[in-house]
Amino acid sequence: MEMLKINGVDREFPAGQMPKTIAELLEQLRIETATVVAEVDGLIVEREKFAKTKLSKGQSIELVRFVPGG
Amino acid sequence: MADNLVIAGREFKSRLMVGTGKFASNSIMSRAIEKSGTEIVTVALRRVDIENKDDDMLSAIDSSKYLLLPNTSGARSAEEAVRLARLARAATGINWLKLEVTPDPYYLLPDPVETLKAAQILVKEGFVVLPYINADPVLAKRLQDAGVATVMPLASPIGSNQGLKTRAAIEIIIEQANVPVVVDAGLGLPSHAAEAMEMGADAVLVNTAIATADKPEEMAEAFKLAVQAGRMAYQCGPRAASRTANASSPLTGFLRSS
Repeated sequence: MEMLKINGVDREFPAGQMPKTIAELLEQLRIETATVVAEVDGLIVEREKFAKTKLSKGQSIELVRFVPGG
Repeated sequence: MADNLVIAGREFKSRLMVGTGKFASNSIMSRAIEKSGTEIVTVALRRVDIENKDDDMLSAIDSSKYLLLPNTSGARSAEEAVRLARLARAATGINWLKLEVTPDPYYLLPDPVETLKAAQILVKEGFVVLPYINADPVLAKRLQDAGVATVMPLASPIGSNQGLKTRAAIEIIIEQANVPVVVDAGLGLPSHAAEAMEMGADAVLVNTAIATADKPEEMAEAFKLAVQAGRMAYQCGPRAASRTANASSPLTGFLRSS
């Protein structure tokens, strides 16, 4: 098993099936890319770099988006 | 002559900013924003809910008509606020930011020390910073010196509908400010918004009072009219209150002897 921490929760993937990039991760989770911003181990990843940003096991990923607020 | 609100060199016709929280649905929010006449709407940044993803609200806001003003709500320290600010900028591509640092969950009062610290960092990073603050004239000046684009003193605690409890301090802030003063938080009625505008506030921000009304769209319009009326009255040079009466009718020519 390989693990990524996503929004504070550990997620396990069978060996070889862990998403290789942010874009792949979002696709697996069925999250609309257009409105999301990501942080990998505390560093912001711009949307245009989602497809290029390689993930490695054990990384901590934050996926955030806008919600209603005052 | 046009009486536009100018923030960081950008002009706005409306002096009402609207928050997008607490609306019953995205469509009600969208119609209320339209009715309010606003050009600036605030949004918050949160983790994507991976199990429940149908929460995209941006599709309900036409970003060609409204400036999205991300806030840093939820931040309890300067460090957290700066992190949220950078994420917000990455998400929108715009560098406008409503800075709020509210460590106290009960009254949600802003932390002046952390807010100033975050503002200093963010201004240096090129953000247009609109800090939410308690109505503290000294803090407002310090933030102004740090290069913020506005100051946003609270009228009363967020969402409390109490109106202008901090009136005297906001008067001093307005007197001393050389950036726009936006009265934020606690304005529960259009009359509260009008009062803030009459005393010379440059704009107000309203969320709860509109979003939680029985008829949010109509309430949005009521706030729009109140802000316009208050602004107009301010420009007309209102007279001060006096303790005694001042007759409006002539005090001569009465129909009585001697």
